[in-house]
Amino acid sequence: MFWSQIKDMKKDKENSFNTPEGYFENFHERLMARMEKEAQTESVIPKSDGFAIPEGYLDRVTPKIMSKTVKESGKVIQLKSYRKFYYSAAAAAAVFVLVFGINWKSTPTVAFDDLANAEIDAYFESNELDINTYELAELVSLDNVELNDVLEQDLNAENILEYLDETIDDIDELNIDYSDYE
Amino acid sequence: MIAEETLIKELKQKESQAKAFEVLVNTYKERLYWHIRRIVLDHDDADDVLQNTFIKVYRNIEGFKGESKLYSWLYRIATNESLTFLKQKSKKAGISDEELKNRMVENLQSDVYFEGDEIQLKLQKALATLPDKQKLVFTMKYFQEMKYGDISEALETSVGALKASYHLAVKKIESYLKEN
Repeated sequence: MFWSQIKDMKKDKENSFNTPEGYFENFHERLMARMEKEAQTESVIPKSDGFAIPEGYLDRVTPKIMSKTVKESGKVIQLKSYRKFYYSAAAAAAVFVLVFGINWKSTPTVAFDDLANAEIDAYFESNELDINTYELAELVSLDNVELNDVLEQDLNAENILEYLDETIDDIDELNIDYSDYE
Repeated sequence: MIAEETLIKELKQKESQAKAFEVLVNTYKERLYWHIRRIVLDHDDADDVLQNTFIKVYRNIEGFKGESKLYSWLYRIATNESLTFLKQKSKKAGISDEELKNRMVENLQSDVYFEGDEIQLKLQKALATLPDKQKLVFTMKYFQEMKYGDISEALETSVGALKASYHLAVKKIESYLKEN
């Protein structure tokens, strides 16, 4: 009884909607045609963006790049040609030391500590340093760094518990060996 | 044109490096220039970034493992250099990234190397409203006519995500141009 009702409903459902003849056969063609039409109507976006380039720029840029790369690293400094200047340079240096060397103690020397932290921060912020984290790790010995030196907030038990409470859903993820605490 | 594998090999050998690097620069300078120019908008800035890009390429060619195609590596470096350049520029001027983008578009009106009219200027204003990634995908696909596969390698993003980004960008630009 029940199943025959369902069957009747299904029959009704099947009969309630119809598609025009051949609708699915040419659907793909019609879709493609519509997409093509839409692509053509995208002409509201201009085909050119209006940028121009100075005449001859692309010809001039290659020698510029080559002089800063290949020629820069391959430049050989001829020492021989400077040999004749060695004696006069040494004499000039000696005079310089004599004249300025006498008062050297009275001139204040600038030490690293004299740099304001703000200046150092500004330097690091405005200059992209080509140092990745691995290189940094090699440069800075971990023995000399306390974890609290690099954290904005001091790491104490309360912070750690708060962090774990907020971020860890499943305590098993931590792989804690409970035998250590027993 | 010299095969990519041969070029990479020659770039890594001291005796052939200079010649190979010149070939590399001549092959890619125009494409990279336009890629960079569409990010930084100003010609002089694009010139700086293009030179920096090739300097970085030259310094790091030894480390290029060939896991991706050479041009996608170059595009990646050019993209990073351009975005870093803009970040530094906004920091130096003490303004936000959005403010810088607006100023860059405003400056185009007096730029002798911008020959666009009102609609092109509007297009740049529309592009300035997009997130960086969407703008990149749009310009690489629409103006540079790159294939999704190539953009995918250069930006390290799946083709599916790129298609979605492009579609979104087109819709946003269209509605901006219609509304303004």
